[in-house]
Amino acid sequence: MPVAIINIGRSGAAAARASLELTAQNIANASNPDYARRALSQSEFVGSATIGVNSADSLGGVRIGGVSRSESELVQIQARNAGSDLARTEAQLVGMRGAETALEQSRLFETLVEFEAALVRLESDPTDPTLRTVTLESARQLANTFQLADRSLSETRRLVQADVTAELESFQVELDELARINRDLVAAREGSAGRASLLDQRDASLRSISEQFGVSVTFAETGAAEVRLTGTPSPVLVSGGTSSAISAAFAADGTVTFAVDGQPADPTSGAMVGRAAALLDQAGLQTELDDIAAVVISSSNSAQASGSELDGSPGQPLFAGSSAGTITLALTAGEQLATAPAGAPAGSRDTTTLGNLINAIGASTGPIAGADTMLLGLSSRTAGLETRREGLEIVAQAAEGQLLAETGVNLDDEAANLVRLQQAFEANGRVIQVAVDIFDTVLNLR
Amino acid sequence: MTTVSTSTGAYYQRSLSQMNGLRDALERLQNQIATGQRIERGSEDPAAASRLRALTRVETLADIQEENAAKLAQDLTFAADEVGGVADLLIRARELAIRGGNDTLDEVARAAVAEELEQLGEELFDRANSLTLTREPLFAGTAAGPAYIRDAAGVVVYNGNNENGAVPVASGTEIERGVTGPEVFEFELNGAPTTTFAVLADLVDAFRGNAGNPATASVAAIDGLDAALDAASRNQAVLGTRLAWVEVIEQNQADRAIATAEQRSEVGDTELADALARLQQTLTALEASQASFARVSTLTLFNAI
Repeated sequence: MPVAIINIGRSGAAAARASLELTAQNIANASNPDYARRALSQSEFVGSATIGVNSADSLGGVRIGGVSRSESELVQIQARNAGSDLARTEAQLVGMRGAETALEQSRLFETLVEFEAALVRLESDPTDPTLRTVTLESARQLANTFQLADRSLSETRRLVQADVTAELESFQVELDELARINRDLVAAREGSAGRASLLDQRDASLRSISEQFGVSVTFAETGAAEVRLTGTPSPVLVSGGTSSAISAAFAADGTVTFAVDGQPADPTSGAMVGRAAALLDQAGLQTELDDIAAVVISSSNSAQASGSELDGSPGQPLFAGSSAGTITLALTAGEQLATAPAGAPAGSRDTTTLGNLINAIGASTGPIAGADTMLLGLSSRTAGLETRREGLEIVAQAAEGQLLAETGVNLDDEAANLVRLQQAFEANGRVIQVAVDIFDTVLNLR
Repeated sequence: MTTVSTSTGAYYQRSLSQMNGLRDALERLQNQIATGQRIERGSEDPAAASRLRALTRVETLADIQEENAAKLAQDLTFAADEVGGVADLLIRARELAIRGGNDTLDEVARAAVAEELEQLGEELFDRANSLTLTREPLFAGTAAGPAYIRDAAGVVVYNGNNENGAVPVASGTEIERGVTGPEVFEFELNGAPTTTFAVLADLVDAFRGNAGNPATASVAAIDGLDAALDAASRNQAVLGTRLAWVEVIEQNQADRAIATAEQRSEVGDTELADALARLQQTLTALEASQASFARVSTLTLFNAI
């Protein structure tokens, strides 16, 4: 039956052309990171007639099926989880590096040592007005440095908090977007290119969601995703066409807590959790910094109180305030520094009180040791995070690479497909030509 | 691009991250070489950073202690000079006491001796009140000074206190600032406490004929002047010893400063030979991977069809 042959050839040519179109689509999207490789599903088309004894098959060529998208649920989960863990560590590292810069660049430790050195120099000649002025200025410098460190630290904290607020907004938008995709997926026809494109959007959306918060995802028959926050409790973020409202609240010390639809949540991974951890660390550093400032204030002021000024009057407090942010110099002139013990006559060169202050500043529980401990702790934690980030980066890159290998476009494959499909199209055209020849042969029979 | 399963995107991503890693390493090395500092931020090597902080403190304090030691050496030298001057002065006074005690001397000549002795007393008073470079009294202890004043009756009395005060010149080492006035100018004579000033004043009085026999007074004064000379020489020795001690400490400080600088360099400085070798190695690796990336990425089947 030449007509059947023409039909077979036509269906084959149509299938080859449809496949060519998809190949072209794949090549065009080779550098689109959210695109999963497409393929055309095909099936044989046979019209079988089974009525009567004389059953005969009628061959109909090929039936073009739907557009199939390379799925890789397991690898997607791996990539998402590795991505959340990496994002968490990276966000925390950014916060910690900010704190490290704030506290190291303010040169708090060096200024404390300079203050101690000025006191030791004053001990060599406690009545020298020049040395007294230098010491007082060094104390002023110390107060300024504490304030600078405090301001830089709170600036870093504000930056992280601004990050949390901004990213949370776009996270909410992403959740709403996923809910919309879910609704569209229910309506999309199976095997259509539109559905494949929606699935691409869904996976991209899930990836950017899991970057901010670690999530567990389950898929419905239609491909709609149900997203839950990992951790206990694990509230639903997106279910079907509805999304939950996520919010963040900042405590007075700068730390952040999250809530889903008003219920407190305790997420375990993702950049937001890293930011929360950084804020918690920064709150701890703020306490340490304030403690160091308080020790400086109390030991200086109690030394002053137990001594007498150059003119023999009782010593007044050296610093006012109680924390790194509020410390200020209280004395106005170098003569007011109390170097001699209480009751000493005017102009005394006794340095007992000064010696006590030097001992308090340099003691193993004093502010210099405290500042060193704080910086050592901070840089050790940062170094630890850095090591962890390097490890997680390798894992995340491997997972990402794996995902790209599973779903991405390989240009060599597509080039080979181009050649193959072009040949298939030509072959089908040849089939039609043969059918026409046969038909002509039949018509020319005399 | 060698295995079939590798997607084009994955290949580019991997190559890029490898080259970025190499470039980061290069930048870090270049930074280390340019600044000479191995550690830019504490988190690069927390333990070494803490060690560097401790060394910074040691260095800063050592600088101050060096200054303190230099200043102390100056004060001690001043004090030793003054005490030496006092000793010379006492030797001259002793000569005058012997001359004035001579029975053959007439009243006028003795009065002239008394006049010179009085001048010596004034000079002694000035020396006892001498000041350091920063205008602090040398012999008043830790008090504000002046060290010696004259009371209503014109008698020279001590105005300072008996504490020397000490200067920290090294961690845990403090050296006393000098000697107090009483140590130099006060002593016991025949069981009774007296001062150099009193001995001289008594002698002047006796030579002027205001009190007793000049010859007897001269004998008594020579005993007193001997005791005063003793006290002065003793304190000269004390000051000399302390000065020697300060010199030893200054030598130690210089040695320690070198040791500290060496340690700092060991902990915190870039080892140039090492860093340059690693820079070259990383450069080679980066160039090679860039070249191979350019070669491999042009290999596509599309060129063949």
